[in-house]
Amino acid sequence: MIVIRRTLVTKMILLIVLSFFAFLVVMPFVLMITGSLKTVSEINASSFSVFPEVPQFSNYIKAFQRRLWGRWFLNSVYVTLTTTLVSLLLNSMAGYAFARLDFNGRKILFYTILLALMVPEQLTILPRFIVLRSLPLAGGNNILGQGGSGLVNSYAGLMVPLFAGAFGIFLCRQFFLNFPKSLDDAAEIDGCGAARIFLQIYIPNSQALLMSLGILKATFAWNDYMWPLTIVQSERMMTVQLGLALFRDETISWETLLAATTVVMAPLILLFFVTQKRVVGGLVTTGMKE
Amino acid sequence: MGIKKHDGIGHLMVLPTYLVYFLFIFIPVVMTIWLGFTNNDLFTRSEFVGLANFVRLFGDAVFLKALKNTAIYSLGTIIPQIVLALLLANSLNQRIPGRKTLRLAFYLPYVVSMVSVSMLWLWIYEPATGVLNQTMRSLGLPAMRWLYDQDLALASLIIMGVWKMTGYNMVIYLAGLQQIPAHLYEAADMDGASALSKFSRITVPLVQPTTFFLFVINTIQSFSVFEQVNIMTEGGPNNATTTIVHQLYTRGFEEFQMGYASSMGVFLLGLIFVLTVLNFRYGRQGYDLM
Repeated sequence: MIVIRRTLVTKMILLIVLSFFAFLVVMPFVLMITGSLKTVSEINASSFSVFPEVPQFSNYIKAFQRRLWGRWFLNSVYVTLTTTLVSLLLNSMAGYAFARLDFNGRKILFYTILLALMVPEQLTILPRFIVLRSLPLAGGNNILGQGGSGLVNSYAGLMVPLFAGAFGIFLCRQFFLNFPKSLDDAAEIDGCGAARIFLQIYIPNSQALLMSLGILKATFAWNDYMWPLTIVQSERMMTVQLGLALFRDETISWETLLAATTVVMAPLILLFFVTQKRVVGGLVTTGMKE
Repeated sequence: MGIKKHDGIGHLMVLPTYLVYFLFIFIPVVMTIWLGFTNNDLFTRSEFVGLANFVRLFGDAVFLKALKNTAIYSLGTIIPQIVLALLLANSLNQRIPGRKTLRLAFYLPYVVSMVSVSMLWLWIYEPATGVLNQTMRSLGLPAMRWLYDQDLALASLIIMGVWKMTGYNMVIYLAGLQQIPAHLYEAADMDGASALSKFSRITVPLVQPTTFFLFVINTIQSFSVFEQVNIMTEGGPNNATTTIVHQLYTRGFEEFQMGYASSMGVFLLGLIFVLTVLNFRYGRQGYDLM
């Protein structure tokens, strides 16, 4: 009895401590939303209050009347959706081939891709820009890749480098390795080719994997900053992240900046809450394989 | 090499991914190394200059400052992230009420973009009206200049970095904790072991493969820090927060010294390679991660 009571007390203390830290972690988000609804004088006041007297929803309208926010959101949505769908298809296809098919050079191809996990994206940015600029026959370039601007400042330039993803390939391969091999054998006896086995057996049975990986990819594409910063050269091609950075450079009022920040975050936070079981659960089951 | 069963279809399924990987990761890495030995300026010239860039690197006071800042940032983020994440994961792995909500709260900062988080913390750190200084004042503490103070700017970025990344580490640890057999804890309970000794004698040693994995991931991440630096401080004040990748980006895309910038890339690549090998050498110790 005493032991039980003691563990109960420990758990209560633990709960209180954890709640306090969770409160600290979430607080910036709460202050962002309440701050975005304050008036200019409230947000610059010398005495701080969490809530505004009257919520100023007009701050949101004020923020988005400036510049090309609509266009930036469209760009981001387009880039995120395309990148997610294409890279899911390419990653799972390659993951399946590496997990199940027997072809020449399989090992060396797989290990070279694994090496890429070690290379931070930041390091490949400069030459990647040069590669895209001098891609032959694109964006006014001749066959030697000279004369034009290649894929600089284009949707293709924004998206294509994100299609590969060593992590996604690795994740898919690990997941597919857990499928019973007898499934393939049975299908093969029935005359199914590798492509059909992949499309009709593996893909339909991989919803959990595709969901978690898709969310990771979408999050990455939506949040990406350094690559768009490098490849985008006109305001019309900007994504929301670039837009937000530009907006900050020219705005002096915190309340509209916070309003814009809230809206840029909103789709991801929404996606996160709708799918949180799968993300956290998916990472737990597929992210680590020992 | 003989002909294998899935030659053709296997190659076809790997081809698109491999092409993207080859063009945008493999070639850029090779190019970085090659450019590091040239005086490429993006437009007119690209001549081989031997080790000149690397000699210049170690006489460049700003780069040496960046190197020091990057090392401090990495130490200051990696260790707290891992320690806090393990403590959180261990607490939230027990049956306490509301643990799911608490997990989500800690994971939330990881989901949103570095750009939006930077806006949020710019406001928090704002010297005159920011919430941090408001709180300090109301507690009777002196107000600080945070990002504008060259002794505090890097520490301010570190605090934000730990806030953003700890949740991710926690989720990976939660996955790792599931691998520890429950009967070990039951046996320890029977012997009357305290919570502390269970943590230090069972949890910490047995979760080591995860710790190792996180060390590798966090090392690569922290050593490539760029986005928040570029947005929040632009390396200032007085180069107090400039980092290796920030220098690389500035030299490459603002001053068009692609050759010199690439030599920084080569240096960082080598550094990360050595650190990863060290992590494997001393962190793995008999555990098989993949």
